[in-house]
Amino acid sequence: MMEAVLSRPSRRHMLKGLGATVLVAGRWGTRAALAQDAASAAAINAYVAIAPDGHVTLQCAQSEMGQGIATTFTAILADEMEADWSKCATVFSPAAFSPGGEPYRNPRINWQFTGNSESISSFHPFLRKMGAAAREMLIAAAADRLGVPASDLVARAGMVRHNKSDRAVGFGEIAAAAAAQPVPSEPQVKPESEWRLVGHGRSLPRNDIAAKVEGRAVFGIDVKVPGMVHAAVMSAPTIGGQPAAIEDAAVAGMAGVLKVVRLDGAVAVVAEHYWQARLALAKLKVEWQVGPAGAFDDATIEAMYAKAMTGDTGWAEAESKGNAPGVLAASKRVVTADYQSPWTSHAPLEPMNATVEVSADGATVWAPVQGPQMVQIVLSQVLKVPPGKVAVNRTYLGGGFGRRLIADFVAQAAICAQTAGRPVKLIWSREEDIRQDWYRPAFVQHMRAALGPDGQPVALHTKLVAPTILSPVSPVPIKPGTVDDLSVEGLVKHSYAVPNLRTDYNMLQVPVPTMVLRTTGHGPNNFALESFIDELAHAAGRDPYQYRRQLLRDDPETLAVLDRAAALARWGKAPSGHFQGIAVVNGFGSCLCQVVELSLVGGAIKLHQITSVADPGRVLDRTNAVSMIEGGVVWGLSVALYSAITFDQGRPRETNFDRYRVATLPDAPALVTDFLENRKTIGGLGEIGPVCVPAALCNALFAATGKRNRRLPLAREGVFTVYGKLYG
Amino acid sequence: MAKFNFTLNGAATEVDVDPSTPLLWVLRDHLGLTGTKFGCGAALCGACTVHVNGSSVRSCAYNMDSVAGASVTTIEGLGNNRVQRAWIEHQVPQCGYCQPGMIMAATALLKDKPKPSAADIEAAITNICRCGTYARIKQAILAAAG
Repeated sequence: MMEAVLSRPSRRHMLKGLGATVLVAGRWGTRAALAQDAASAAAINAYVAIAPDGHVTLQCAQSEMGQGIATTFTAILADEMEADWSKCATVFSPAAFSPGGEPYRNPRINWQFTGNSESISSFHPFLRKMGAAAREMLIAAAADRLGVPASDLVARAGMVRHNKSDRAVGFGEIAAAAAAQPVPSEPQVKPESEWRLVGHGRSLPRNDIAAKVEGRAVFGIDVKVPGMVHAAVMSAPTIGGQPAAIEDAAVAGMAGVLKVVRLDGAVAVVAEHYWQARLALAKLKVEWQVGPAGAFDDATIEAMYAKAMTGDTGWAEAESKGNAPGVLAASKRVVTADYQSPWTSHAPLEPMNATVEVSADGATVWAPVQGPQMVQIVLSQVLKVPPGKVAVNRTYLGGGFGRRLIADFVAQAAICAQTAGRPVKLIWSREEDIRQDWYRPAFVQHMRAALGPDGQPVALHTKLVAPTILSPVSPVPIKPGTVDDLSVEGLVKHSYAVPNLRTDYNMLQVPVPTMVLRTTGHGPNNFALESFIDELAHAAGRDPYQYRRQLLRDDPETLAVLDRAAALARWGKAPSGHFQGIAVVNGFGSCLCQVVELSLVGGAIKLHQITSVADPGRVLDRTNAVSMIEGGVVWGLSVALYSAITFDQGRPRETNFDRYRVATLPDAPALVTDFLENRKTIGGLGEIGPVCVPAALCNALFAATGKRNRRLPLAREGVFTVYGKLYG
Repeated sequence: MAKFNFTLNGAATEVDVDPSTPLLWVLRDHLGLTGTKFGCGAALCGACTVHVNGSSVRSCAYNMDSVAGASVTTIEGLGNNRVQRAWIEHQVPQCGYCQPGMIMAATALLKDKPKPSAADIEAAITNICRCGTYARIKQAILAAAG
């Protein structure tokens, strides 16, 4: 997602990285990161260490936020090196600027982050080579030990075997010798047919689930370090506001209270226990300076969107093929529609929190973060220390959805720790978590299409107004007046064969912080595009599935998921009174089609089944892949049905789950999920799952009612589910 | 500060805390049992669900006066029960943060209704899962019911 702003590593850099720098640096660099019981392990390379007893410790460069990456990364490495799965353990790697941390950057963009659904797509070839390099070094060490040619040896299940003499040595016995072998310059990965842990419909039990079920898993909020105290935070009542005066006399004598700390746009209380900090915060008298945008509200923001959409300034061309404006101007058969997706909050169930200890020349962080390298950069600025002196210990993340890519909450904890002179665990209340969010902004699309004689679109022109979502997570800011590549995703580079295409983008400047959220631009843009294609199909008097088939003639993989989903959902053969809607997407290196089937009960939506078929090229773990898609469906239902942030008096109205509504258990209908593996390259599944749900749902609703819903969420448009009232 | 005596996972327990401290923070911060999670602080999401005298309560909004003399069970006190085993069998958790609360709610449901219908499950499990594991939660509860 960041190729526009970060130079891609050159091919030479990649080869150098794989051959020498990464592997050699990793030998030394990772030792400190290994678990205590693996202290005597030999580091074969930056990702693999083997203890004398044969236990293998594998580094996970990415953050585990529910997507199962800690299991799948480990399985990719273990499979390539032919390790014994029962002896493999996973540790979270150091951050990129830490000593030895270089090899844990995303190899595509040389930046360590977990997001954009690209852990697998960016790391898979690299991890296979790391595993293969370890296997080749183990085989070379075994050849020395056994006095036989390496070509006569095979590695399998944590052993290197010499079948001719029926001898074998365990990985643990030769680990130290393997670590001393020359690093292979071009390690040879196994053919897919020899994958034993991943692919081919396999599923592994995830390595984090037992701990999560027993309450043992350590999330950021569960961290305990010696001498630790707690901080609670209260932000300015208006967005962008600042504390003007803090009257702390009222809290000075309160039990456990240690410090009152002024922060950028907020005030914190540090106390021995968390609830003591909360009690003191409630007593604190703060005079707040109003934010620069004052008491803006929804009408203010909507007027800004409307002005941008109808005005001539701020536009940038995101994609142009043929002459869409010209064809539209000459056409007598033009369809026009406007769509709007609302402001939404990430609201992962674990509120933002971080534990920080500040020392004389650096800091140690324990936190649930998606952007460890961003944490190092931000704390190096806050604490005036080199980024490499900020150690980041990643815990499990209680959801992320993009929010934990930025480090504002870690910076607050660092300032509190520095002020208090003690390690501080800072925890936002749910209200602060939503109020201090960087929201996914509203997206407003104005779409026009010209239909040809056969009813198929011959020109499609989209105008999108949305603030940037990429800039806050990018090391280089995205300038107004240019194209934010993530904001326009799904409107550009889609799979539909339309001869004349034009997408214009207007990066609106708003007084509210904005950033990426699960599905990035694809979510809101797919709602617009796939609703509009449905409208075109109906305008042409065609079946929406068949209409899309014709439009997908140039993308056989996406056409295949469309066909498979239609077949699985029994498209067109729904029981009487049931109605279906379909939508499709090509994004995150994968493609997906979803079909929603619903009926109306007393005017309310009853969902019956949602069918999903995805093609990520290769499914490495089927059970986990199903989790990603089906969990994504529920996320998509929250977006379609319930969730919206609205503004009043310069602040969000919704600050907890009473008003910021999300899907609950009864909302999830029967889910049918399948995969194809036609795509040539491996893609992501973490972000794509929700993408087609809003459009498919609204298309089904149109089939049922004849009324088109072009604004989300439906609950704000007076459309409810049969559970909407019960759980409202 | 005030002293409260209660039974926690079968053991007699005494704490001396500010009497306004919710049960959740007594468990997490004073007694070190971090399996019970903080999600909303307003009894809306259920991440903090524990059992008091066998019934589900949302500990983030549960007063210590009501805990005095009672028996409290947390996720750490379930002892790998059939609900937890079904959760592992069905690979329910994604991020896992809501799951201790879900498991406590499901365990209480099965105590009241050993053979719950789908409607019983929909009515009883009002906890929030942002990862969207609801389909597997339903399957795991039905499997645990046998």
